[in-house]
Amino acid sequence: MAAVRTSSEIGFNRVAIVAVLLVTIIFLAPIYWIASTAFKPRNLATTIPPTVVFQPEISPFVKLFTKRSQLRNPASPEEYAAAPWWERVVFDGGEKIVRDGKGQVQWSGYPSRFMNSLIVAITSTVLAVGMGTFTAYGFSRFKVKGEADLLFFILSTRMLPPVVVAIPMFLMYRAVGLNDSHLGLIILYTAFNLSFSVWLMKGFMDEIPKEYEEAALVDGYTRMEAFFKIVLPEAATGIAATAVFCFITAWNEYAFALIMTSRRAQTAPPFIPSQVGSGLPDWTVIAAGTFLFLLPVAIFTFLLRNHLLRGMSFGAIRK
Amino acid sequence: MTQIELRGVQKFFGAVQVIKDLNLKIDDNEFIVLLGQSGCGKTTTLRAIAGLETIDGGDILIDGKPVQHLKAADRDIAMVFQSFSLYPHMSVYENVAFPLRATRKSKAEIDQEVRSVAKTLQITDLLAKKPSALSGGDMQRVAIGRALVRRPKAMLMDEPIGALDAKLREEMRAEIKRLHIKQGSTTIYVTHDQIEAMSLADRIVIMHEGVLQQVGSPDEVYSHPANLFVAQFVGSPVMNVADASVAETASSASVTVGGAAAGFEFPRALLSKLNGHAGGQLALGIRPEGVLVRHEAAEGFLPVETQIVEPLGSFDIVDLMVGTKMLRARTKSGFVGGPGEKVFARIDPTQAHFFDTASGKSLEVRL
Repeated sequence: MAAVRTSSEIGFNRVAIVAVLLVTIIFLAPIYWIASTAFKPRNLATTIPPTVVFQPEISPFVKLFTKRSQLRNPASPEEYAAAPWWERVVFDGGEKIVRDGKGQVQWSGYPSRFMNSLIVAITSTVLAVGMGTFTAYGFSRFKVKGEADLLFFILSTRMLPPVVVAIPMFLMYRAVGLNDSHLGLIILYTAFNLSFSVWLMKGFMDEIPKEYEEAALVDGYTRMEAFFKIVLPEAATGIAATAVFCFITAWNEYAFALIMTSRRAQTAPPFIPSQVGSGLPDWTVIAAGTFLFLLPVAIFTFLLRNHLLRGMSFGAIRK
Repeated sequence: MTQIELRGVQKFFGAVQVIKDLNLKIDDNEFIVLLGQSGCGKTTTLRAIAGLETIDGGDILIDGKPVQHLKAADRDIAMVFQSFSLYPHMSVYENVAFPLRATRKSKAEIDQEVRSVAKTLQITDLLAKKPSALSGGDMQRVAIGRALVRRPKAMLMDEPIGALDAKLREEMRAEIKRLHIKQGSTTIYVTHDQIEAMSLADRIVIMHEGVLQQVGSPDEVYSHPANLFVAQFVGSPVMNVADASVAETASSASVTVGGAAAGFEFPRALLSKLNGHAGGQLALGIRPEGVLVRHEAAEGFLPVETQIVEPLGSFDIVDLMVGTKMLRARTKSGFVGGPGEKVFARIDPTQAHFFDTASGKSLEVRL
């Protein structure tokens, strides 16, 4: 066999490209699986071998957002003619959309769970990153008594697996009426992310030369003004990175959401698997819910990509 | 009119005293250079004046008013940092305008002043750029522009050209000097580079381990160093210092260094001026240009052997062995052929300094 590996750079590059492609395919395969299942008709979702080529359908999404009931008999031609196009795809699946007395479509639980996820994740991210930034600035710039101990203490809140404290937390939350509330989850996720946020931001703050603020102080600004006008813009990269990590953690959190919430404040992660339900599970609906659930993190990260990539090499401090 | 005065300033970092009872008066429009090795307290002194560092004792007065309790923002002082500290997320224009924005001036006024300073510093065509796109020299001009734009009471500069390469440093040195003459603001400049200090300063303040060693014009500190530290810190190549003993001869005084067989001849007046120190702990200090070298024997010249010759272009530095002590002499270039040559040397009494080795203080002998 001819030598595949050559010592030349071209050969190495080719190998590297193939390796990168392979890794990318391995990482993207589950996402492709979910995304393709979300657009499959129900009968193609569980075929063996998997169906790769198919006519994409929107019926999983229609089912995801609506309440439906099983049809005993196929829908009548009149029903068919009167229904809008998106209702027909459900008829074809052997189901019909449930309407209330006024003929209004009944929404499924998904949109409100999705909103809950957005509210809880965004609010807790803003709080964790905001407080983390201030705390990190304090630790970075001022002499704090017992700084090392305090920082260790902050980090130690992350040393237990969260599930260990789930039951005590649940009992405490129930006692103060925070279970199944947005506020409860927001507090929980903020506390959870704060230690991480403080440590990450401390690293970024330490990287910002303190001469910048000193220049601003001498130029006639107060420390607060210097913080907002100079430090915050300089820390944008760090804030973006921290926010992405905090958002992903809060967005994907499953265990506490499952235990602490049931209806009103339930987030999407515990809701989606609950839809597997009894009887024959409709995997296309689960896949549609999961697919939509992936989008916010992807969009958020995409929007902040410039900050994430910019790095710290743009400074004008000469060291 | 801005006078700055330091009265008995003390500063501790933990148990370490970095400024020890510092007294200094700086006149209006004066260009003062704080000179010393790193860690001597010069930058801390500057930062204390700026208000970036609190002091643990004494007073800092600006125009007669104590300011040590005022915040940096309220002292109306500008500072140029070694790192330039240009705000990376702002354009050059915004950087220069930044101090003015704190004063709530109108947009038109700010624009006018930024452009006027930019013109003075010849950075007008850089105003739209970001600091990261500038060269070192331009960054420094912008940093000075930012300091000047507010017309502060005083300018503080912390090794502003220390980060530049040698050629640019020389250019910027001249530029800073020109600017000071033109703008005439009270300036305190910190450096460890004695050439920078000599070329820029009206008066040099030499510090060592938090203690002020000498204040004087460049000529004063060079020609009449107050102690051994100043003598060896200022001047390049470094002043020769050797333990010396003085003896009386028939018609003159003889100064022996390095246990040599014979001493250098000095005027008899030296004996009375040494005032009893003649036998005691005494050090002779002589700059290389004060060691006179010739090829032929002459009266008062001692025979010595050359060691290393360092050709420095416009002159040579020749190491001469006198007893066990090496004296460095400055000669015309090419005057000495190489090591091992026999030449004759004497010390110019008018350029000689005598120090008490115990205290390090100059005995103020002027012949």
